[in-house]
Amino acid sequence: MPGIYVYSDKVQEAAALIGLAAQSGKEVCCISLDSNQAQELKEYGPERIIILNGNSPLPENYAQSIAELIKNEEGELFLVASTVRGRELAAKTAGYLDCGMVSDAESLVFEDEGIVSTRLMYGGSVVQKEIIRQLAVVTVPAGNLQAVKKENAPVSIVSLEVQADPRVRLIETLPVKRDKIDLASAEKVVCVGMGLDKQEDMKMAEELAQLLGAEIACTRGIAEERQWLPVESYIGISGAKIKPSLYISMGVSGQVQHVVGIRDSKIIVAVDSNEKAPIIKAADYSIIGDMYEIIPLLIEELKKA
Amino acid sequence: MSRIIACYKWVADEADMKINPDMSVDLSKAKGKISDYDRNVIEAAVQMAKISGDLAVTLTFGSPKAKLSLKDALSRGPAEGFWVNSEMAEQADGAASAKVLAAAIDKIGDYKLIICGEGASDTFARQVGPSIAARLGIPCVSSAIKMELSGNEVKVSRKLEDGIEIVAAQLPAVVCILPEINRPPIPGLKAVLDAGKKPTREYKIEELGLLDSDLGARNETIEFKAYVMNRKNIVLDGETAVDKVQALVGSLKKEGII
Ligand SMILES: Cc1cc2nc3c(=O)[nH]c(=O)nc-3n(C[C@H](O)[C@H](O)[C@H](O)COP(=O)(O)OP(=O)(O)OC[C@H]3O[C@@H](n4cnc5c(N)ncnc54)[C@H](O)[C@@H]3O)c2cc1C
Repeated sequence: MPGIYVYSDKVQEAAALIGLAAQSGKEVCCISLDSNQAQELKEYGPERIIILNGNSPLPENYAQSIAELIKNEEGELFLVASTVRGRELAAKTAGYLDCGMVSDAESLVFEDEGIVSTRLMYGGSVVQKEIIRQLAVVTVPAGNLQAVKKENAPVSIVSLEVQADPRVRLIETLPVKRDKIDLASAEKVVCVGMGLDKQEDMKMAEELAQLLGAEIACTRGIAEERQWLPVESYIGISGAKIKPSLYISMGVSGQVQHVVGIRDSKIIVAVDSNEKAPIIKAADYSIIGDMYEIIPLLIEELKKA
Repeated sequence: MSRIIACYKWVADEADMKINPDMSVDLSKAKGKISDYDRNVIEAAVQMAKISGDLAVTLTFGSPKAKLSLKDALSRGPAEGFWVNSEMAEQADGAASAKVLAAAIDKIGDYKLIICGEGASDTFARQVGPSIAARLGIPCVSSAIKMELSGNEVKVSRKLEDGIEIVAAQLPAVVCILPEINRPPIPGLKAVLDAGKKPTREYKIEELGLLDSDLGARNETIEFKAYVMNRKNIVLDGETAVDKVQALVGSLKKEGII
């Protein structure tokens, strides 16, 4: 049956996608690989849920089965939440279907002439708007979308036996124990960049953060290269997106891949020694100067205030 | 000895991007570069081949401008460079790129591993690697931060949202890597000079059994505009650092932030 198919390995994101797909007014079919998840998703009222039963624990191994299902049923659109698994599954499915794909759509609007999507290019400095008129796969960062329950909606649930691709096998999973860092909902954020000389100088950032009641975040290099903060702490196109009332950077140059993650901040403050650093153009208030001089003074002032 | 193929994209350097007053984007003066993550891709192929005794080669789908990329890519260590030369590359979407690359890989033949970057620095669409795998009918593993060949498998550590996952994929396979996987060195002078002597092979679309008409974009782009960020852009002034800091605290109070 023509309609919109949705999938996510994360239940909440699948639930949010059901709501997004329903905006089209078309039939929504939720694909699930787990019958318990399917029961939860029922509450969100897709018209159909199809449970694929196979013998692999890896969702990515179902791409071909999903592609065949969508092809056989002449689906119009496959929406997948942009998680690591979701992106790979989506791209493989698009490959099997030989159809177009929009990755990480920032917006998706169902219009008469087609589905209009926007996405960021060049690290976030360009917005590309496309119109989808034929079968396509779209990934959506669904973490920010609201899922809404639909009471008493009739949902048809069917199970299908499928053959998962056996060629990638799971050896083990190593969950990382971590303090839950929730930058997305932080009210204030202090962000350190590669301008920080030594790990012990993190103390300066911590003191400022404590005075402001802020969370500490960083650029990618601080997390991935220097590993001074966990990877969940970095902001940007490949990291967290934040929307605090205040973002203060110290020693952050403000390349677009980072700035794309702070655009929804109410006030952006930058402290950087280079007046030509792009962060100055992205900021509401800047101080051009050595953070080793400025930040301690700021800490003093805040203590007085 | 079989091939380990490093796929890379020759992209416009975003640092040279000009924004016109109407917010349209001018890349006509932009220099080309090997997409950022793809430098890690080439390094990964070279490292893997060194250990396994296989042959690291590079492959790109690019317009005539991408000719410049061959020497750059080969200076990073691979033995041979393949290039699918077509103007169509400028407009190609992920589906078209994957289709061309898969056809080229098929033509090159005798491969055990295809390495791609997780995403290109221009589109960052993260679709070409998995799509190549689907088209070749071989397995794919994405988000790789470590990999190792063992027997007829490649063992890969993947970075997920909530942990690390270790999987093994049957060869031949596509692996899409994150830049954490290695630190590509800057090629030395000798490597740059040697690169000019390494063999390169150019393919035309038709030689791959494809037509230009197979490579049109699936979705129509209706707008391509610079993102506008309207900020106050106030640089706090003052005789001394103390003055500037006080001015900042004053402004933040006025904003009702502190
Ligand atoms: C595909 C792709 C994805 C990416 N994704 C992300 C992402 O999600 N997040 C991210 O952050 N990056 C990302 N990057 C990297 C990004 O392009 C930048 O390289 C990175 O953000 C720069 O980090 P930085 O500002 O900390 O370091 P730098 O660019 O090195 O800047 C350091 C700054 O500190 C200043 N400074 C130095 N000393 C002092 C001092 N004493 N006092 C004051 N200022 C000082 C310097 O003037 C400079 O402006 C990505 C890149 C690519 C290609």
